[in-house]
Amino acid sequence: MTGGRLHPFTLLAIAGTLPALAWILPAPAGGAVTTAVALVLTLTPGASPGLAGTGSSPGWRPGLVVLRTAVLTAAPFWLFLLLLHDVPSTIAIGLRLTTMIASVVWVGALLPPGRLVEAMVAAGWGVTAAYLFAAALSAVPLLKARAQRIVDAQRCRGLSPRGGLGRRLRALRALALPLVLSVLHEVDERALALETRGFVPGARRTPLAPPRDATAERVGRWLLLVGCAAALAWRLAWRG
Amino acid sequence: MARLTLERVSFWYPAMGRPALRDVSLAAAPGEVIALVGNVGAGASTLLLVAADLAPRVVGGKIEGRVNFRGRGKGEGGRGIVLPTPWTQLSGMAFTVWDEVAFGPANLGWPRERIAGAVDRSLAALDIGALAARDPATLSGGELQRVVIAGIIAMEPALLLLDEPTAELDPEGAGLVWRLVRALAGDGCSIVVATSDLDALPEVADRVVWMEDGVVRRIGAPALLAEESVCEAGLATTVADVWRTARLGAPYPLTVAQAERRWRQ
Amino acid sequence: MSVRLLVLIPAAAAISLALSAAVDAVALPLFLDTTGTVLATALAGPGAGIATGVLTSAVNTLRNPTFWPFVVVQVIVALYAWLAARGGLFRSLKTAVPAGLGLGVLAAATSTPISYVVFGCTTTGGIALTTALGRALGLPPLGACFFGSFVADFGDKAVTFALVTSVLHALPRRTAARFPWALRAVGAA
Repeated sequence: MTGGRLHPFTLLAIAGTLPALAWILPAPAGGAVTTAVALVLTLTPGASPGLAGTGSSPGWRPGLVVLRTAVLTAAPFWLFLLLLHDVPSTIAIGLRLTTMIASVVWVGALLPPGRLVEAMVAAGWGVTAAYLFAAALSAVPLLKARAQRIVDAQRCRGLSPRGGLGRRLRALRALALPLVLSVLHEVDERALALETRGFVPGARRTPLAPPRDATAERVGRWLLLVGCAAALAWRLAWRG
Repeated sequence: MARLTLERVSFWYPAMGRPALRDVSLAAAPGEVIALVGNVGAGASTLLLVAADLAPRVVGGKIEGRVNFRGRGKGEGGRGIVLPTPWTQLSGMAFTVWDEVAFGPANLGWPRERIAGAVDRSLAALDIGALAARDPATLSGGELQRVVIAGIIAMEPALLLLDEPTAELDPEGAGLVWRLVRALAGDGCSIVVATSDLDALPEVADRVVWMEDGVVRRIGAPALLAEESVCEAGLATTVADVWRTARLGAPYPLTVAQAERRWRQ
Repeated sequence: MSVRLLVLIPAAAAISLALSAAVDAVALPLFLDTTGTVLATALAGPGAGIATGVLTSAVNTLRNPTFWPFVVVQVIVALYAWLAARGGLFRSLKTAVPAGLGLGVLAAATSTPISYVVFGCTTTGGIALTTALGRALGLPPLGACFFGSFVADFGDKAVTFALVTSVLHALPRRTAARFPWALRAVGAA
């Protein structure tokens, strides 16, 4: 069973539990374990482009690429930690950060946004939450492309990153204002389009392809939650 | 029994003194195709929004007069509108074209099998079956327009409102849409379409409504697109316009076929 | 929640995330990642602003896996922007820029504990280096951390407020009238 077959909520639960445990369990052993687990997870194969795949490089990234992304994202933090802290603190904080980074990168690579949306819809949540998340996700690459086009157009008119602060700020305004105004102008049209397609905030809609939610997974999620609470209780007791 | 009735409707957009529609009356029967023609600002788009129950409910503003809509059968079949800018009509919630077209039916709460059937039929009708797995954000303008139209007809509306549905399409795509319009009308759907593709109208429209400045100037058969006053307003078919410019004498022919017949006489 | 509001929120969140391209083009050390939050609040109130801020953090986390703890800062920004909008502080740059500077202080104060506890003050390279500078200048660890966050946030929030003010004033009257808070924010209502 590949990681991509797990229910989206399970993936999110795992990605949430690991950093939580990295924080709860005593450093550095706790952090080391969770980091190891998180990094190993990044090697699990996925099914299709995940959340982070939207808009960036298309296509599913095989395990090593995900691991590499996690490591490369975490590396600068280690560097700066070393600059500011002694070695034990660096290791403690660094491991926690690495767990957090690896978990998010893993989920991002493994979970296609459509699947998460379907999971929310199938779980009986109204369309509101699913729409907010999905619409933001799909809008970012489109807006970024539009911003780039505006930048290119302004470059043809003499925009350059040189010059004093005042000039650069004015240039920023010339870039940002059209982008933001175009977005606001479209709000009305998009609202009309949604209305005509029967979109009612808070209403339930038919799930088109609900992800399978095995009982084992549901139990597993609860166990993760209980496990975190138990670890927290143990840690507090151990401290006190 | 008319499906859609507008009785002396006037409409003002929010914070605007001049009405966008003045005293407009129109009735659309089941299976009828009505075309709205007019220059920019004539009020055709506004009329469609009013007919779609989006103005003033969603758009805001003020309305006077009566708008009456009678759906099909037991409340099945509402009204759907296709707006002119395709990229603002994507749901933002679908990551494949198939899901995008299924968006409307899913919101209606239909069972999955019915949705699947409706989506497959719509994709076939717009000839975009090959795009079913594509990400809507990667489509061209013409492809997007077809997807948007498919998304609305998948909801099986009893009244279909189209605002410049062929603007982004090449002639082949436009022909497909017009044939689809006639096919849907044959199934009993009422269709009101605002378009500047005047040459298509003799074959497609049952009635033509000429609008100017928010007022209905003429309602008649498509033959009115060859009348003198319409020609002067720049709203005649190409053939009629050319005939008139060449001073070949009234009455002007509406279509190429008519022109050929006149020429031979 | 009306459909228009539902459309505004993710659009505003996407604005926050897409402005990075504009910032890179003028080579200014800004984030502008609270622009959407401030804008949404000025247009539609604190609820919309908070939702935008949370959404911005959620989506941003996919690109920068470490940014989700700062969702608290986004919420604070939304609340501050709410007060600013109520006071009509977006009516001109003369009132907006100082308000933005004030937010810069508040945002830095809010993000410092997060930066300290979660990241050991290494949230970004810039902040880490400025913190090191602060330490070299003899500041205590937490103070140095604040110094690092402050330098990053101060100008960023002022520019954000200035930008939102420009946007609000550039909105056509018809569009502004459709957003319940916009007119009040610019002191026109």
